[in-house]
Amino acid sequence: MLQLIALRVAMSVVSLFLAAAFAFSLVHLSPTDPVVLALGDGATAQQKLALARELGLDQPILMQLWNWGTRLLGGDLGQSIFAHKPVLDMIGEAMPVTVFLLAGASVLAVVIGVLIGSFAGLRPGSWADRLLNTGVSVALATPSFWLALLLGFLFAVKLRLVPVAGYTPFVDDPVAWAVGLILPCFALSVHGAAVISRHMRGAVIDVMDSAYITAARARGTPARLIARRYMLKNALVPIVPVIGIQVAVLLAISPVIEKVFVLPGLGTLMVNAVVTSDFPLLQGAILVIATILIVVNFFVDVALGVLDPRIRPQ
Amino acid sequence: MSLATDRVENDVGEPVAARPSDSAHSFAAILRRPLTIVCLAGTVLLLAVGLFAPLLAPYDPNDANVLHRLQGPSALYWLGTDALGRDTLSRLLYGTTTAVETSFEAVGLAILLGVPIGLVIGYFGGWWDRVVMRITDIAQSIPSLIFAFAVIAILGRGTGQTAIAVAIVFGIILLRIARGLVLRERELLYVDAARVGGLSTPHILFREILPNVVGPLIVESALMLGSAIMLVTMLSFLGLGLDAETPDWGSMLDDARKYQMVNPFMTLPPGLAIMFAVLLFNFSGDTLRDALMGRRRAVRRQPREARTAAASTVKPAVDDNTVLIADHLTVGYATDSGRLFDVLSDVSIHLRRGETVGLVGESGSGKSTTGMAMIGLLPPVARRSGQVWLGDCDLMAAPTEVVARKRGSDIAMVFQDPVGAFSPVHTIGQQIIEPLQTHRGLSREEATRRAVELLDMVGIPDAAKRINDYPHQFSGGMAQRATIAMALSCEPKVLIADEPTSALDVTVQAQVLKLIERLSSDTDTAVLLITHDLGVVAEACDRVVVMYAGEIVEEGRVADILRRPRHPYTQALLKATPRNEAPSGRLPTIPGAVPPPWEWPSGCRFAPRCGFATERCRAAKIHLVDGVRCIRADELQLALEP
Repeated sequence: MLQLIALRVAMSVVSLFLAAAFAFSLVHLSPTDPVVLALGDGATAQQKLALARELGLDQPILMQLWNWGTRLLGGDLGQSIFAHKPVLDMIGEAMPVTVFLLAGASVLAVVIGVLIGSFAGLRPGSWADRLLNTGVSVALATPSFWLALLLGFLFAVKLRLVPVAGYTPFVDDPVAWAVGLILPCFALSVHGAAVISRHMRGAVIDVMDSAYITAARARGTPARLIARRYMLKNALVPIVPVIGIQVAVLLAISPVIEKVFVLPGLGTLMVNAVVTSDFPLLQGAILVIATILIVVNFFVDVALGVLDPRIRPQ
Repeated sequence: MSLATDRVENDVGEPVAARPSDSAHSFAAILRRPLTIVCLAGTVLLLAVGLFAPLLAPYDPNDANVLHRLQGPSALYWLGTDALGRDTLSRLLYGTTTAVETSFEAVGLAILLGVPIGLVIGYFGGWWDRVVMRITDIAQSIPSLIFAFAVIAILGRGTGQTAIAVAIVFGIILLRIARGLVLRERELLYVDAARVGGLSTPHILFREILPNVVGPLIVESALMLGSAIMLVTMLSFLGLGLDAETPDWGSMLDDARKYQMVNPFMTLPPGLAIMFAVLLFNFSGDTLRDALMGRRRAVRRQPREARTAAASTVKPAVDDNTVLIADHLTVGYATDSGRLFDVLSDVSIHLRRGETVGLVGESGSGKSTTGMAMIGLLPPVARRSGQVWLGDCDLMAAPTEVVARKRGSDIAMVFQDPVGAFSPVHTIGQQIIEPLQTHRGLSREEATRRAVELLDMVGIPDAAKRINDYPHQFSGGMAQRATIAMALSCEPKVLIADEPTSALDVTVQAQVLKLIERLSSDTDTAVLLITHDLGVVAEACDRVVVMYAGEIVEEGRVADILRRPRHPYTQALLKATPRNEAPSGRLPTIPGAVPPPWEWPSGCRFAPRCGFATERCRAAKIHLVDGVRCIRADELQLALEP
C-alpha cells in the first residue's frame, strides 16, 4: 500500500510539472501580444513596455521560464494585471468556495448515482429500470446552469427556503454557509449522478451475472447480503475511476453554477481573468485546478487499492 | 476534456447465448423501434428549423422594441420578449441555427484536426507519437470548459474562436481514438499486404486503413454534437462565447437569469431548447452506433421466477435413506419470437445418503442445468416444471427465502472454476465464515475458528494465515479445496459438484476427487458428481446417470454400466474415454456434437449420430425402460472389447 502511494505521489509530481508547463506556455501561445490584449489598442508604447517589464516578457524565454519556475516553487504566482493584487491571495480567497462546492456536489453525485444505479441494475428491464434510464438520459441533456436557475427560482424566490445568491464563509456563520451551498451542490451534482448511475447499473448487471454471485447464492447467502456485501464492493471497482472523471467534469461545470448563485469561486475568478486577459491570474487558476484534480486522482487510486486487492503490489 | 468522456454506453443487456431467430439486430430492426422513429423525426425537425429559421421566425431576432420589453407570452409575441423587447420565439429559432451551425462546425473542425494527426502518429509511432501523446495528456488533465477558457483567453472572444476552442477540445479526443484504432489496424494482414504490394504510405493510410476505422470515428463524432452544444451554450452563458448580436440559447439564458425576478418565463424556452437538442443529438448518435456497430441489445423484461402450480406436488414414496429426489424435471426457454424449446426433458434422479452418483454427458447434454435446477438456481427466465424434493420441501415450489435457507445448509454446490467462485475483492475467510454465521448462527470468532479447521481439514497448509488471503493468491487446486471446505462447512445432506476437477491440473484432480470422496463418506453426504469424464465416474461413483440432449439415456450401477453399456451413446462415451493402456494413435472421439436444443429430433435424440439407428428409432419418442432409453437395447451386444 505504501509503495502504491509513493508511486502515485511521484506520478502526481510529474503531472503537476506538466500542468505548470501548460500554464506557462499560455502567454506565449497567444498570436496577439498579451500586453496588447490586456491594455487594449489604445495603450501608449510606454504603458506597454511597463507592463511587459512587470510581466517579465522583455526577457529571453528561457530566462522567463526560469524566473517563473523559481517563483512558483517559492509559492509566488505573480501579480494580477487587473486587480493589482497577488494572484495567490485572490486564489486563496476563491479556492475554499469551489472546493466546498465541488466536494458537496461530488458526494451527492456518488451517493445518488450509486443508489440509483444499483437499484436499476438489480432489476434490469423492469419498469422502474426503464423509468430511471429515461430519467438519466433527460438529466444528461439538462444544462446544469438552467437547472440551477429553475431550482433557484423555485426554492429561493418562490418558497424562500434558501438565500437567492451569495456566499457566507464558514467562519462567519456555519449554518448560513451550509444552507447557501445546498442548492448549488445539488444543481452541480445532477450531471455526475446521472453518469455514475449509468455506469453503476452496467457494473451491477455484470457483477450479478458473475460466477461468485451464483456461488454465493448456492451457499444460501441472503439476497440482501449479496447486494450489500458482494455486489456493492465488486461493482464499485470499475466505478471509482468513473467517479474520478466525474469530479473533473463537475469542476468543469462549476463556473456556470458559481455564476448563477453568485459564488466568488475559482470559476468566477477565471471568467474574469479571461474577460480582462489577466494572464497571471488565469495561469495561477489553471495550476490550482490541475492541482485539485491531481489530488482527486490520487485519492481515486488509493481508493482503488483499498477496494481491489489485485492491484496492490505484493 | 472530460465532458465528452461522459457519454456512457447504455448497451447493457442480458448476456444470452445465441438463440434461434435472435440475430436480427440489423439497421432495419433498429429503425423499427417507435422511439427511434420519433427521435429521428425530431432530429430532422431540429435541423430543418436550423436551416429555415429566417422563414419561420415572425420577427427579426435583433429587432428591439423597448415599449414591449420583458413581456410574457401573448398573441403578438408567442413566447414573450426580452429586456430589449426582442421576440423570444424569433431569437429561439435563430438560436437553433446558431446551435446547429456551431456544433457541426466545431465537430467538423475537430475531425479535420484530430483524425489525420491521430492516423499518422498511430501508423508511424516512435518519437512523434510520444511527443504528441504527452501534449494531449497535459491538455486532457485540464477539464474541458477550463481548457476552452484558456484557448479563448489566447484567441480572444467571438463566434469563430468559440468554435475553434470547442474543436480543439474534441479534436484531441478524436486524435487519441484515431490513433488507438490505427495501432490495432496496422497489425492486421491487409496492411502488411498493402505494404508488400508497394503501395505508398499515404495511400495505405487514407485509402486502406481509414475506410476500416471510419465507422467508429463517425459514431464518436456524432456523439460529440450534444456535448458541443452544451459547451458552446455554457461559454455563451458565461459571456465568453459567441458575439453579442448572434442570437443563441446560452446568452438568452444569461438574460433570463438577470431578469428572472421580473419575467421568470424567459428561463423556460432556451433551457428546453438546449435540453431537447442535446437529447435528440445524443439519441441519434446512439442509434447510429447501434446501426453501424451493432452493439446494443434491447433489454428484455425479466419475468419473476415462474414457479410451477402447486397442485401436483405430492412427494413420491421412497425409503428413508433417499435425501433428494428430482422428479420429472423439465426446463425450457422461449425465443424472442415466443417459440418454446426444452433444454431438459423429464429428468428424474434420486440420491441416497452417503452415495455418490455420477452425471455424465457431453457439453450441451443438460447435466449442468440438472444441477442448477436441483439447487434452485435456474435463471429467472427459465420455464420449469417438475419437483425437487429435499427432505419434505419441494425446492421448485417453495418460496425463494425458504430455498435460500436450504442452500448452503442442506444442499451445497462446488463449481468448475474454483477461483471464479470467490468474490475477488473479499478474503477467502470472509466467504467461508459467512455461511457459518448465516446458517449456523455462529459468532464471528467461532465461525473464524471453524473456518480455519475446515481449511486445515481439506489440506490447505498454514490455514490460519491463508484465511486472510484473497482468491487471486490461491492456486486452482487450493481454491477448489477451499470451495469444498465452504460447501461442506454446514454438513449438507447433498453436495452437487459440477465438473469440480475439470479446470485443475491432472495431478491435483485425483487429490480433489479423493477429498470429496473422503469428506462425503465422513459426513454421509450424498454427492451428485457432474462430469464429462467416465474415468472420474469409474474412480469416484457408486451409480451413474448418462445424459444426452436433455434426457437420461441410461442409468445404473457404475460397475455394470462401465462393463456392459446398453445404450449406444454410453458405449460411444466409453470408447472415447482415454485409458492408461491406450495404444498410440489418435484419441477416439464421438463424431459430431450434441445438436442445439431447438434441433433435437422428435424420435430418439441420439439417432442422427448412432451407428445402430433404424427407421423405428426415428419414428417416435423413445421412453426410458428398465434404465435405458433405447428400443434396440436388448438386441444390441455393446460389451466393450477389452
